[in-house]
Amino acid sequence: MKGSIRFSNVRKAFRWRGSRSPHETIKGAFFHRKTRRRRTSREQFVALDGIDLEVTTGEAVALIGPNGSGKSTLLKLIGGILKPTSGTVEVTGRVTALIEVGAGFHPEISGRENVVINGMLLGLGRREIEERMQEIVDFADIGPFIDQPVKIYSSGMYVRLGFAVAVAADPDILLIDEVLAVGDEAFTRRCLDRLARMRQRGVTMVLVSHDLDLVTSFADRALYLDRGGIVTEGPADAVAARYRSDAAGGSRRDDPPQPAREDDDKTRWGNGNVEIDTVELLVGGKRSRLVAGGSPCSLRIRYSVNEPMEDFVFGVAWHRSDGTQVSGHNTDLAGFEPLRLATDGEVCCEYDSLQLAPGEYLVDVAIHARNGLAYDYWCDALKVRVTSEVEWPGVWSPPHRWRSTGPEWRIGDEFRRATSIEHDE
Amino acid sequence: MTVIRILWRHRALIAVLVRRDLDARYRASVLGFFWSLINPLLLLAVYAVVFTYIFNPRFPGGDPYPLFLFSGLLPWLFFSGAVLDGSATLIDNGPLLAKVMCPPELFPAVTVLSHLIHHLLALPVLFLAMVVSSAAGLHSFPWTFPLIVVALVPWLLTTGGAVFAISVLSVHYRDMRDLVGHLLNLLFFSSPIIYSLEGLQVPVILHRILTLNPLASLVTVYRDAAFAGRVSPPQLWLTAFVVGGVSWWLGTRVFAAYRETVVEAV
Repeated sequence: MKGSIRFSNVRKAFRWRGSRSPHETIKGAFFHRKTRRRRTSREQFVALDGIDLEVTTGEAVALIGPNGSGKSTLLKLIGGILKPTSGTVEVTGRVTALIEVGAGFHPEISGRENVVINGMLLGLGRREIEERMQEIVDFADIGPFIDQPVKIYSSGMYVRLGFAVAVAADPDILLIDEVLAVGDEAFTRRCLDRLARMRQRGVTMVLVSHDLDLVTSFADRALYLDRGGIVTEGPADAVAARYRSDAAGGSRRDDPPQPAREDDDKTRWGNGNVEIDTVELLVGGKRSRLVAGGSPCSLRIRYSVNEPMEDFVFGVAWHRSDGTQVSGHNTDLAGFEPLRLATDGEVCCEYDSLQLAPGEYLVDVAIHARNGLAYDYWCDALKVRVTSEVEWPGVWSPPHRWRSTGPEWRIGDEFRRATSIEHDE
Repeated sequence: MTVIRILWRHRALIAVLVRRDLDARYRASVLGFFWSLINPLLLLAVYAVVFTYIFNPRFPGGDPYPLFLFSGLLPWLFFSGAVLDGSATLIDNGPLLAKVMCPPELFPAVTVLSHLIHHLLALPVLFLAMVVSSAAGLHSFPWTFPLIVVALVPWLLTTGGAVFAISVLSVHYRDMRDLVGHLLNLLFFSSPIIYSLEGLQVPVILHRILTLNPLASLVTVYRDAAFAGRVSPPQLWLTAFVVGGVSWWLGTRVFAAYRETVVEAV
């Protein structure tokens, strides 16, 4: 994987089009020659200015901001669809873009032919496309519409097919512009699951979304854009919080973004002899809040020691946001006998396979004495979203298989990968 | 040269797009691909009837006028069809240009190539017409017929250059398409398609203007090979190739100048 993006001092200006420009027609170009030179500055609309940005391989970055702030333009610059007016844009790796409801399709030709054309534009060979065609058709799940001209598609079908092509092209960088908002619930869930898996493989992602919950669960980092400039950037939840308060207040404050950590008495307590600094979920070696069900991952707890301790237990507890307990484990139960805790460091709890049903989970993390005296007890230290192609109910989602002898079945494409049926004769 | 390189890199995609273009043209009809043969046949039949029985043009040499006209008209239809389609090609493919990274060069090239194939499919009809008319003793068979392939090279270059320029200009200037229509009309009548420059009895000035028309050499070279059965004089060949080269060079220059703003304007 090699998908990185670097912008330095990028500016993008557009010329006004339509009635504001006299140069839409040849006639106009001839008769407004003189005015043309004088009015160049007023005829321009600056969509982005002074943008510096660096996205490293495997990072997921969200772009947030009000409409017209330049998010989509930024995405198109990364995709090479637009060229910067000044400054430099360097992008390495294969980029696929899902911009403004689906990839670029030609309305007059069939979905299948569009897949071929799109795939080739994304750098796939004909044979590769043929090989992946079934996978694409399955994922899009639009039935016989695949052989119909794209112009008769509903916007949902359009997005389904666009998404299916873009992810099948095996990109190093995936650009996503609000497409998840268009599909139905089941499709959005499958998209999210696919994105989570791609992230785990190290695909770099840039996402434009107004869904701040999605932004905070999906992205490591966020950029808050307004009127063509970066207002602030940093950890996704901090930036999202800043944007939320700006949007609510309608004003711009220049105070630094507040970390979204809730330090009040109800969710965190303890004597402070040992303090938890950060709690992170690592998926495929990278920080994330999104994990595909059944994937390996780990929780990393970084702490600092204020008083050296000889009695200490590290523990984590998973629960649903409605309070349902899911699982709890600690070093004491695992048979770790404490000897000495004197230096700052980190403790990881690793899961070979996170067999949780899709949904949102909260993780409590604590460092306490064996008798329960809390040094630092942090409730809801981390919010994790588990994705899955199928909406399994409950909290436990073990890999499983149905065996049957009597009944006859038909399995929808959508479920074929997630379930397997063995039919014994 | 960069244009050629881009086109070569995407040759597989161009093949797919050209195929799609041709499919779209013929699929809707019951007769399918045979439509490409029927179209020129119909045209030929109409000319044969109209110019043999209705109008009887004064024409030197006593050669069958319908065949003369047909052999001049075929390359012209290639040129004018491609140029007309070229003025819409980038706009029609706007969704691809605006949402996928897609070199805009592809679309004018596809337009030209699909019209070229269209033209090549009409050649058997032209060939057959020559065979039939020479068998009937109306006309001696033009043994120079294979030279059409060489005569098509300047046509291809000229058409390519024109389509590149017009495709990109019509994105930026929306009245380009209308203008192209008028210009094509003018060009049609000032090119020696329905008449021949040889033995043309017109005022000297008009004759001079007509010879200055860059397409004149192309039409003549093509028709000499396809119909008259003679090899055009070298200077005429040279002129045709120079016209082709200049058109290609100019067209790709214009394209390059406007290329970067195509996506914004589409």
